[in-house]
Amino acid sequence: MIQLQNITKQFQTKSGIVRAVDDINLHVEKGEIHGVIGYSGAGKSTLIRCVNLLERPTSGNVQIDGVDLTKLSESELRKTRQKIGMIFQGFNLLKTATVYENVAIPLRLLGYSKKEVATRVDKYLTIVGLTDRQQSYPSQLSGGQKQRVAIARALSQEPEILLSDEATSALDPETTDSILDLLLKINAELGITILLITHEMNVIQKICDQVTVLENGKVVEQGSAINLFTKPAHKTTQKFLNTISQRTLAPSLIEHLNLSGAVTRLTFVGESTGNPLITEAALQFNVKPNILTANIIELKNGVVGNIVTHINGEQADVQKALQFFQASGVITEVLGGTSV
Amino acid sequence: MNLITDFIDQWWEIIFEAALQTFQMVSISLLFSILIGVPLGALLVLTRPGQMYANKFFYQLLNLIINIIRSVPFIILLFFILPLTKEIVGTTIGVKGAIVPLVIYTAPYLARLIETALLEVESGVLEAYKAMGIKRTQIVWHVLLREARPSMMLGLTIATIGLIGATAMAGLVGAGGLGDLAYRYGHLRYEVDIMYVTVFLLIILVQSIQSFGNRVANKLKKD
Repeated sequence: MIQLQNITKQFQTKSGIVRAVDDINLHVEKGEIHGVIGYSGAGKSTLIRCVNLLERPTSGNVQIDGVDLTKLSESELRKTRQKIGMIFQGFNLLKTATVYENVAIPLRLLGYSKKEVATRVDKYLTIVGLTDRQQSYPSQLSGGQKQRVAIARALSQEPEILLSDEATSALDPETTDSILDLLLKINAELGITILLITHEMNVIQKICDQVTVLENGKVVEQGSAINLFTKPAHKTTQKFLNTISQRTLAPSLIEHLNLSGAVTRLTFVGESTGNPLITEAALQFNVKPNILTANIIELKNGVVGNIVTHINGEQADVQKALQFFQASGVITEVLGGTSV
Repeated sequence: MNLITDFIDQWWEIIFEAALQTFQMVSISLLFSILIGVPLGALLVLTRPGQMYANKFFYQLLNLIINIIRSVPFIILLFFILPLTKEIVGTTIGVKGAIVPLVIYTAPYLARLIETALLEVESGVLEAYKAMGIKRTQIVWHVLLREARPSMMLGLTIATIGLIGATAMAGLVGAGGLGDLAYRYGHLRYEVDIMYVTVFLLIILVQSIQSFGNRVANKLKKD
């Protein structure tokens, strides 16, 4: 659906040329929710703005449904943009227009009939749950409500793709959750493909199927959310994971505990989450596993469990226990660098 | 009581005529200033580097011309452009002769005020409309100018009050008006009463224009 090929975007600044986006490839399948995560300055905002050519890439091409947007004429580009909705961190509503008008005005400008405008405004304000605020002005709404208006405005053009530029970053956690639920609903019920950028790992966790991790304008890791949460390969990805779940302990503590066994992170995914494996290991082998920290992360497409455990015992026994875990489908990682 | 009725009987016609001249000068000049100043203000914003119709040369030229005109005090401008005034309206005196310099004085000022108002509109909103595939001209009309209406109204109020001040000097080319009345009778003929009355009338006029402008702006603002 969305295919970014070798996208590079350079900016000329006073201190020289800055490469905000550096040779990025990104593919978003129809119907999926794809999240791009990175710290501020990673280039994610520039990247998403390249998708509808709000920012024209210095090189590379942007294909939507196989059509290269960079080669379209201005009027063709406008037509294509109508099929790509966009929501923003700052909502970007008309301050001088009511909720109703905020949704209706773009439709009128795009030439829809009076009747069609009324039907659509009604339909999409109902979907976002704001029918009772039609005559309110943006200044009378909360942040979450403003974002709902912006979502209704984007949806009213019945796009196939929705781009979300940090849409929840200005909202409190509870409101963020409700907006994320709304995005999930849009994706499931209207089949709209969503590409979002964020710096919040919980956004990725709650709604994304696929994830791209960005750093300094480059892709450092890409894959399904489940894979990223179970086997994060890049340091940045691991750091983002640490923001939502405790996956490790203080190095001094690990070093101390490693003298009498192995501090091991067990990552459970899929079927292995259901079995009492730690108890079984304690019974079968001469080890005494002690759970130091544990958490469960609920993803859109599954559950990932992390247990950091101290497997107390002789080296050979610990080794056997680890093999047993691995054989049961658990990902094990001995922390602190001592190989047992 | 007699004093007041005597005063009114004696001066009513003169004051009324002067007020009418002020009203004529202000309303006609304001109309033309809006017709010229608002588009100029919009151009100043739209041709800025990075804006929708970015054109560095045009922008800088326009900027320069407006600055040059704005540098000349009105009293000097009034005489400086006499030949141009004659060319345009056929006379350099009376209300007619005052209108050209008043417009040339007010339009660039209004353009600056409109520019400031338009710059206040968040670029994000314009971008959102661009992302929706809406035409640039439509964005200018339905987003930029619409969102700037409250600030434009306040700018217009300031320009109108500035214009009233300038009309007082227009008396020098025989255009009359309240300011001229105060100057000729109040200062030259030392009729202090008439000076007080005209000043009082001007205060009322400026006050009501300002409150009217504020009210309209607030109504448009919706905050």
